[in-house]
Amino acid sequence: MLKARIIPILTFNGFGLVKTKQFANPRMVGNPVQAARVYNQRGVDELVFLDIFASDQKRKINLKLVADVIKECYMPVAIGGGITCIDDITNLLKIGADKVVIKTKALTDIDFIKQAVHVFGSQCITIAIDAYKTEAGYKIHNKSGLDISLDDFLRSMTECEVGEFVVTSVDNDGMMNGFDCDLINHVLSKTNIPVIAVGGGGEMEHYSELFTKTKTEAVGSASIFHFTQYTPLDIKNEIKKINIPVRI
Amino acid sequence: MIAIIDYGLGNLASVQKALNFLKLENKITSDHDEIKSSDFILLPGVGSFAHGMQNLREKRLDHLLSDEVLGKKKRFLGICLGMQLIAETGTEPYENPGLGWIKGKIIKIESSNLRIPHMGWNSIEVRQEDYLADLNHKDFYFIHSYHFVPEDEKVVAAYVDYGTKLVAAIQHENIFAAQFHPEKSQGAGLTLLKNYFEKC
Repeated sequence: MLKARIIPILTFNGFGLVKTKQFANPRMVGNPVQAARVYNQRGVDELVFLDIFASDQKRKINLKLVADVIKECYMPVAIGGGITCIDDITNLLKIGADKVVIKTKALTDIDFIKQAVHVFGSQCITIAIDAYKTEAGYKIHNKSGLDISLDDFLRSMTECEVGEFVVTSVDNDGMMNGFDCDLINHVLSKTNIPVIAVGGGGEMEHYSELFTKTKTEAVGSASIFHFTQYTPLDIKNEIKKINIPVRI
Repeated sequence: MIAIIDYGLGNLASVQKALNFLKLENKITSDHDEIKSSDFILLPGVGSFAHGMQNLREKRLDHLLSDEVLGKKKRFLGICLGMQLIAETGTEPYENPGLGWIKGKIIKIESSNLRIPHMGWNSIEVRQEDYLADLNHKDFYFIHSYHFVPEDEKVVAAYVDYGTKLVAAIQHENIFAAQFHPEKSQGAGLTLLKNYFEKC
């Protein structure tokens, strides 16, 4: 039986790990290589590493540093940040990334996503979706002033047959006050591609709530691991109580 | 020496990392002489079936690998796409011939209520114990949208349950192949690699 995945998300600013609240006020939280080493020792299901400022700052991700992070990992790793061309993906795969996470480029260049899926296969291409609530439904957060509805974007990415979505609630990011289960349910109802639910985990009950109210098969978290004593194993033990299959 | 076949596809770095961790001598190569002189052939790979075969043909590796594995009976380990390519026929993205070592076809996982790709940790049900004796019901990392349907069920070394029973591993004579990624499956994966390469 497929197990629920509990995935630490490392967000990087080009120098060190940072954690934002509602996508603002990045706070330094440590060294990425050290963090990867700890997560590997803890046997986490998977790791996501994102350079969250690469696209904004129009720079490429630091391949040397990413290689050092991947070296620590004997589990699957997804890497994202500033990916704009096929070579960027090839370079990340060469140093051992299993999947790449694409966000900004996917908003404006569907053909690129199609091409990436064609060259590397669906399983390799993860799309990050940062959604926020509006009166006109969920929209995709972006810094280019584009008005993109979540539904339209989901439809086009699903048609491209990407491998996975990392869905983050911008409203709940870093707030540690629970997940946006409505958002996750909405996304799950619109696509049959795997989804990692992100944004808002702060207490154990938030995770049991997420897995009770939604059918998500994966959750990603950052703040709870940076700012509390909880580990991915604690979350597994918690959701195991409500009969969610986990790998312990 | 284990020859990790470099055909421009696949996560060679992580396969090599796992073998290095186990202190198993290996080399990433597409050099025909090196492959001929190796003790084992490891075919990794992620990507589409058609693309994989095209790359093997371009490097003239398709005939070489068949000579080594079917002719000389060299021990072979295929991982993920490297498992699928040994089938007779692939369908991703269109029907085209594979290496043809194992009779069967690679088809898309079809389901209205399952998420595709099949992605994440899933436990295997072992049918052939040679390399999997201590790994029954252990979790391995899967990530695939297509699956192997062999003509003869006797070649199945393990199944995985994803709503329906899918082939997780294949074993036939000197050929072993896994749909999951042992190199990404932490302890269980390392155990399998150790079992396979240390058991002669």
